[in-house]
Amino acid sequence: MPLLEVENLSKAFGGVRAVDGVDFALEQGELRCIIGPNGAGKSTFFKLLLGSIKPDRGRIRFRDRDVTRAEPHTRAHMGIGVKFQHLGVYGDLTVRHNLQLPLQHSLSGEAMDAEIARLLARLNLAGTEERRVAELAHGQRQWLAIGMALAMRPVLLLLDEPTAGMGPEETRETGALVHSVHEEGVTVVVVEHDMAFVRQLGAPVTVLHYGRVFAEGPLAAIESNEDVRHIYLGASRTMAARGRYDP
Amino acid sequence: MMPLRRHLGLLVGPQEMGRTWYFWVGFVIVIGVGAAAPQYLGRFDLLNLANFLTSIFLALSLCLIWGFCGILSLGQAAFLGLGGYAYGVAGINFIESHGNTWAALGIGLAVPVLLAAVLGFVMFYARLKGVYVAILMLVVTLLFETFLNQTAGQGWFIGEAHLGGNNGLGRFSGVIKKPPSFIFSEGGIKFLGKSYAFFYLTFGLAVLCYLGLRILVNSKLGYVMVAIREDPERTEALGYDVRLIQLIVFCISALLASMSGILYVSWGRFITPDVFGVYNNILPVIWVAVAGRKSLTATVIGTLVLVWLSQRLTETDYAFVVLGGILLGAMMLLPEGVITGIVDRGTALRARLAARKSARA
Repeated sequence: MPLLEVENLSKAFGGVRAVDGVDFALEQGELRCIIGPNGAGKSTFFKLLLGSIKPDRGRIRFRDRDVTRAEPHTRAHMGIGVKFQHLGVYGDLTVRHNLQLPLQHSLSGEAMDAEIARLLARLNLAGTEERRVAELAHGQRQWLAIGMALAMRPVLLLLDEPTAGMGPEETRETGALVHSVHEEGVTVVVVEHDMAFVRQLGAPVTVLHYGRVFAEGPLAAIESNEDVRHIYLGASRTMAARGRYDP
Repeated sequence: MMPLRRHLGLLVGPQEMGRTWYFWVGFVIVIGVGAAAPQYLGRFDLLNLANFLTSIFLALSLCLIWGFCGILSLGQAAFLGLGGYAYGVAGINFIESHGNTWAALGIGLAVPVLLAAVLGFVMFYARLKGVYVAILMLVVTLLFETFLNQTAGQGWFIGEAHLGGNNGLGRFSGVIKKPPSFIFSEGGIKFLGKSYAFFYLTFGLAVLCYLGLRILVNSKLGYVMVAIREDPERTEALGYDVRLIQLIVFCISALLASMSGILYVSWGRFITPDVFGVYNNILPVIWVAVAGRKSLTATVIGTLVLVWLSQRLTETDYAFVVLGGILLGAMMLLPEGVITGIVDRGTALRARLAARKSARA
């Protein structure tokens, strides 16, 4: 039984079918990348999995339960952790308080302090706990956002463009972090534009295009797929020019 | 003992200015000066001050829901007015006849909270946000004003209380009964609006509410409120039912606003439909925005200053124009609020000077 099973999922905004009959399945412990050109429906699909928008059609099952209509907070407690495309950290609060928010569901006192220290060390953020998040560098804020998702102890971690705005070194460290989380048994889905990062993860890839699953398979097969190369290069030469995609 | 110590620790949490010893020395001095007001103020000024203090609860209610939870309500006066009317009607029927002030107080608090629960449920569970909540609240409060303005006829009695149309409850009412002040049959304690006792009651409640809200905003719930203000979608993904929390905070804010209404009616023994009007809904927005919506302390100080200023300006007929000008100026120069803006800049300057000093050393 897959951990996550999506059947015929569809969502339209006005006349635009952002997600159109997507079937998708994830096994426990899998690492998967979702790619696609701009407007492919990646973000809508992500929000459907998270629960912040509800589908017009189709079904989502998670841990053998139908969660199609479940609210995001319910899905969070079931084990779906999320890092949004936008930063999703609280700039007015300190780093400690950002991590405290997900942790205070289950921990308090010294146990919470210990968990915050452990997370900060893991995120390369040790020593920043009393700083306001607005004062952190962009990459540090991205890591904090991932850390907040990890603090929920997720079974399934959804990461939407976790390396957006990062330099090469930070991107490499983020890749290492994603691998270490995956090695602990967490199922991870990464929605990403940056093919260099997708290569670093080396995971199977699902390609979305016009709201549908266009291709799916191992990274090498996807990279050598002429049709995938065509939709990427044809739809967005500028991405290649920016170095975001260079098959 | 531990829970008490933990709660006291929350008084000086980072969500509210006032984490230094000199803030609390200043606080004690202000409390002392306030408590001694009957010794140096004349009867009229004391009466006025008690009236000013009743506005604090309304301002704190808006500060809580807008400044900390990110929901701008342009209709907080609906809860003030409803609390006042509910207390007045219940007071006429229960206090003078039966000496049952507790029942009148309970009704005065419960009716607005019930309205907030219903409205909040509809708004937040329908995922309304931003300007839509603000407009809906304004519409609701104006509906109350319109409705109450047409209750002058003899058919508009609730028990012995006549709603009185645009004359309101207890005003120009002739033989019709006025809403009473707080009179507690136990021990014969009376809090008549003109009395020292009423001033101390209002003053004490204002201090208690301020301290209670400091604890609330620094509690776990307080951090969740701030998280909702900053990014509700993210907060939901962290396992919080944002709609429920918004509803709870909205009800707390209605409770606070209703306290303003109850105290106002108890103070003046009248209330009119004007309290639901646009002016009375925009005023608290000006107080809170000018002072600094993200701070309870700034809200209290700013409200007292601006209420005093409004009263001085009413003699000139330009009160609203001047207050609008102050709001405009504050938004352009210090968009986070005048008091919080000055405090933040002072803190930043102190930090820079300290850094320079340590660099020299």
